[in-house]
Amino acid sequence: MILSPFQLHRPDSIEAALALAAEHAADADFIGGGTDLMQNYKNRLNAKGNLIALNEVAELRGVSATRIGAMERLSGLADHPIVRRDWPGLAEAITHVASPLIRNQGTIGGNLLVETRCYFFNQTPFWRETKGSCMKAESDECLVIPQKEICYAAYSGDLAPLLGCLGAVLELASPTGRREVPVSEFYQGDGITKNVLGENELVVGIVLPDGARALRAGYRKLRLRDTIDYPEMGVAAAVKLDDSSRITELRAATTAVDVVPQFADYTGTCAGRTIADVLDEVADDLQANAQPKKNTALPVGYRKKMVGVFLRRLLRDLADGKSEGRISAA
Amino acid sequence: MSAPESGVVRSPQGVGQRVPLIDGASKVTGSAVYTDDLKMPGMLVGKILRSPLPHAKIVSIDTSRAEAMPGVKAIVTGSGDMAKFGVLPISKDEVALAVDRVKYVGDCVAGVAADTEEIAMAAMAAIDVRYEPLRVFDKAEDSLEDIDPGLKINPDTRHASNLHKEVNQNFGDVDAAIAAAAHVASGKFRFVGVTHAFTEPHCVIAHFEPTGRLTIWSATQVPHYLHRDLSAVMEMPMHKVRVVRPMVGGAFGGKSDPFPHEMIASLLSRKTGRPVKILFDREEVFLTNHGRHPTKTSVTVACDENGKLTGLDLDALIDGGAWGSFGVVTTYYNGVLSAGPYDLGNFRYRGRRVYTNKAPCGAMRGHGAVNSRFAFEVLVDELAEKCGLDPAEIRRRNLLTSNTTTLNGFRITSNGTAECIRRVVEASDWDKKRGRLPYGEGIGIACGFYISGSALRINWNKVPQSTAHLKIDMDGGVTVHCLAAEIGQGSDTMLAQCVAEVLGLPIDWVRVCARDTDTDPIDLGSYSSRVTFMAGLAASRAAEVIRQKLCQAASRLTGRPAEGFDTRQCEVVFLPEPEVRVHYLDAVLEAIAGKGALIAKGCYHDAPKMGGDHKGAAAGLSPTYSFQAYVTQTKVDPETGFIKPMKVWAAHDCGKALNPLAVEMQIEGCLHMGLGQAMMESFGYNRMTVSNPNLLDYKIPSALEMPDVEVHIVESNDPEGPFGAKEAGEGPLLPILPSLANAVTDAVGVRFYELPMTPDRVLNAIEKKERAAARTASGKKRTPEESVR
Ligand SMILES: Cc1cc2nc3c(=O)[nH]c(=O)nc-3n(C[C@H](O)[C@H](O)[C@H](O)COP(=O)(O)OP(=O)(O)OC[C@H]3O[C@@H](n4cnc5c(N)ncnc54)[C@H](O)[C@@H]3O)c2cc1C
Ligand code: SF4
Repeated sequence: MILSPFQLHRPDSIEAALALAAEHAADADFIGGGTDLMQNYKNRLNAKGNLIALNEVAELRGVSATRIGAMERLSGLADHPIVRRDWPGLAEAITHVASPLIRNQGTIGGNLLVETRCYFFNQTPFWRETKGSCMKAESDECLVIPQKEICYAAYSGDLAPLLGCLGAVLELASPTGRREVPVSEFYQGDGITKNVLGENELVVGIVLPDGARALRAGYRKLRLRDTIDYPEMGVAAAVKLDDSSRITELRAATTAVDVVPQFADYTGTCAGRTIADVLDEVADDLQANAQPKKNTALPVGYRKKMVGVFLRRLLRDLADGKSEGRISAA
Repeated sequence: MSAPESGVVRSPQGVGQRVPLIDGASKVTGSAVYTDDLKMPGMLVGKILRSPLPHAKIVSIDTSRAEAMPGVKAIVTGSGDMAKFGVLPISKDEVALAVDRVKYVGDCVAGVAADTEEIAMAAMAAIDVRYEPLRVFDKAEDSLEDIDPGLKINPDTRHASNLHKEVNQNFGDVDAAIAAAAHVASGKFRFVGVTHAFTEPHCVIAHFEPTGRLTIWSATQVPHYLHRDLSAVMEMPMHKVRVVRPMVGGAFGGKSDPFPHEMIASLLSRKTGRPVKILFDREEVFLTNHGRHPTKTSVTVACDENGKLTGLDLDALIDGGAWGSFGVVTTYYNGVLSAGPYDLGNFRYRGRRVYTNKAPCGAMRGHGAVNSRFAFEVLVDELAEKCGLDPAEIRRRNLLTSNTTTLNGFRITSNGTAECIRRVVEASDWDKKRGRLPYGEGIGIACGFYISGSALRINWNKVPQSTAHLKIDMDGGVTVHCLAAEIGQGSDTMLAQCVAEVLGLPIDWVRVCARDTDTDPIDLGSYSSRVTFMAGLAASRAAEVIRQKLCQAASRLTGRPAEGFDTRQCEVVFLPEPEVRVHYLDAVLEAIAGKGALIAKGCYHDAPKMGGDHKGAAAGLSPTYSFQAYVTQTKVDPETGFIKPMKVWAAHDCGKALNPLAVEMQIEGCLHMGLGQAMMESFGYNRMTVSNPNLLDYKIPSALEMPDVEVHIVESNDPEGPFGAKEAGEGPLLPILPSLANAVTDAVGVRFYELPMTPDRVLNAIEKKERAAARTASGKKRTPEESVR
């Protein structure tokens, strides 16, 4: 399948990128590594006439103890000494994204903005012709739950839940200026509106709060194969324990079981207790709030049930000081 | 053909040596030339407009708008005058382009040739096709109903329904055996379709040359059948058609039919006089399918109190999709290939393949045998449990011997099953593990049985099934010509090795030309695991003719008798006085002096006469059979349902491993493919459209899902195979699925009658079992639904 035609722009500053975005308004997309976007272009899904490539914008690069540039590639980040030292949970979570080759190309900014996914949407033009298209593509109705108001395409990025639990904040830039939005508040709306990013706004970087370094954080992912596949469900958690292993902070989050990642702060109800003590309560709550829809490979009931199973395992591992979680099975 | 006495090495890369595939380096360095790498002057892009409907009348096709577009060079549509084709002469039901009716989503409606892909796509969008939907046949059962003849997917069958082929075979009295049995196990099994998922999408270039000849380059594993059917469809004598097979990037049976796109490219080239290339998108590969048939298999197995099998009753309802393809063979193989490696006592089989409005199914690695083998081996374990026997022991008690005949008339010669079982049981520490691993870990065993080439040819004629030509000129290089299709399985290397062995040469003296119908004599192609056996024999026989000539030349040069000479490591040596020797090149020069290049040919005609005289007795006859036994150890996570196979001990009787490295690779590849079907692959449909037509949603296992594999090659030295060899490419797929399922049963106590065993299904089954156990413990009656398991 050949790509739809587009004009490629290569700005070398944020200002130039934003000016191009403003100039082409609704007919332009930013492109990071393109590993998500190009699939949709090939499938003629909301493809635009202009692509604004961000890889020559120096300000979008760089890794420090508290900030990661949006254009940093995932492989590089997972191996980066600062990330490995200060944010081991993030380094590990990155290895769950897609496959090694895709991580060489994919960026962390693109990962946070990965397109929502749905069985009826992520298909070829021919497929959509045979089965009818939906309102996220060319038509005006949802094929998962027939109605015209809400798109249930699932947010399926792997890194947002963990970054949200760590309290990370996104630096955004638009022609009207810069602003900062916490990851946990960034995602809003449905499978089409997705987040609060403005039309001509881009993600500059991700700021990690100093205090978060004291958190133990991890991510566990459900998928049929232990590489390549997008999450069918993912859970992240970050916890701070005092000297007697009592919780002083606890946050958890899910991905791929709703139109946006879901973040929950359990510090209020769990502070002062041990992980073993809160395990069921937290897992049951997070599971109860999961709203998967029948638009991915695995059944809805199973994905929902796995929220609890995976979170229990993750919290136990965090309590034990283990973070290794590559094998989703045994 | 046999190897010299043990210890003697004629060639460093001869029989039994671990030889890296001779085309491997070109593939991994990217220099291998696949069909899509070829560019011709003036070449056009061909595209196929496909049906969006599963079953519909074509009311009209208007191509005028598309034809008027700049850059559009030709458009072809179907015509009733065009010959039908198909790989089996008994069911030639395929058309290059739909005539009056489309029969599945993806059916070919029009072909477009244009200057660029963009133009071709725009032209397809401008073709106006009006359809009138017809009743859609989805479920296989619906295709058994008698219907209006106008609704028959293949109007030419004898049946009043959409039945394609029915097979009924009966040996002994199965009902009586079941009635008298000490133990009976039965199950209704359901198998979804799976597909080959080869790397290289279908690709073809057709060039109708100014000379009036048609040359076609195609990613095919059956150049000869393509040659025949192209000649029929294009109405050109075979000598005016030339088929070339460039490097093929995997096939697994998915490139073993002559295809509509090959005909369409040819039609477009004839119309334009220019080369036309059609390269499929991955989606089109899925739409074309020809993969393993979805099947509903009902099986009953009976045994006496000692675990001796007394009967097998097997019924398979096979969903064929819209075309016949290899389906008649599939229908037989679903039954008859259960006739080994066990002595069945009594055997009854009913197989029915129906047409439905889905992408055609066809041959896929392990053709016809995989699903029935799964069902049979799972039930053998159930019988073992009922008899209180170890699953390995019940299998040992029922093995056929060497040099025997199965109850349906298959001639068994070499048979290494007992040795296969012994090896894997020992290596896996089976006796200590079976039934003794902790909950969530299990170990299972299963056997397999497969043909090594079909004894009888598809087309009834007297052309040998395989012919090889050899040519040696004064440079000494040996050229092997043979149409056997290298599709990644290593057949070129095998041919080179056989020749190197006989001539006593390092393998780099040998070059293989196995790709061009103009230069290479007929071999029927790479299917039914026939190539090593048949082409291997043809090539070694040709080499033997040359070896004799070299020995005669050496005799002339040394004055010693020719009979005393043999080829050894680039020399022709007089064995009684080994210091009397002639360099290979000197022998060649002497042999060609005044006569010209050495040439020779060798053939494999047909297997000796064999088989019973019942209807369909020929199906499944093979000059020899391969045998397997696998033990698989797995983990099953009882909380998530994930199966994680840890280790497989895989024993395979390939007669003689011409190249142990290649045999191991075949076994590992088979395992990967079988595990995919067992654990995750599913060729799904959603309202008649393939639901997952891409390699992200059609899940084949990654390297991370692969268990540790320990291969045990068992050599039963087949009396008729080349140097004792038989097949290693398909049989090794069979036991992996049931050995894994049996291991899962050992791990968590649930038995599977449905594939794939995805984690949600495994978890469901475990929870169901636990609920039932809880209810039994609390004294409540089980619901009928729960007692099925
Ligand atoms: C086979 C396959 C499997 C995959 N599996 C996974 C998976 O398991 N988990 C997962 O999370 N992802 C997966 N992906 C998606 C993707 O590869 C990753 O999410 C990757 O990190 C995306 O980064 P990118 O730079 O390539 O994004 P791009 O494709 O370049 O961009 C994605 C989106 O973000 C926008 N964008 C990018 N950068 C910026 C920016 N700085 N500011 C504003 N907008 C921006 C783009 O306009 C686009 O809408 C998979 C992709 C493929 C092809
Ligand atoms: S959820 Fe509905 S609207 Fe959204 S992508 Fe899926 S089918 Fe389309």
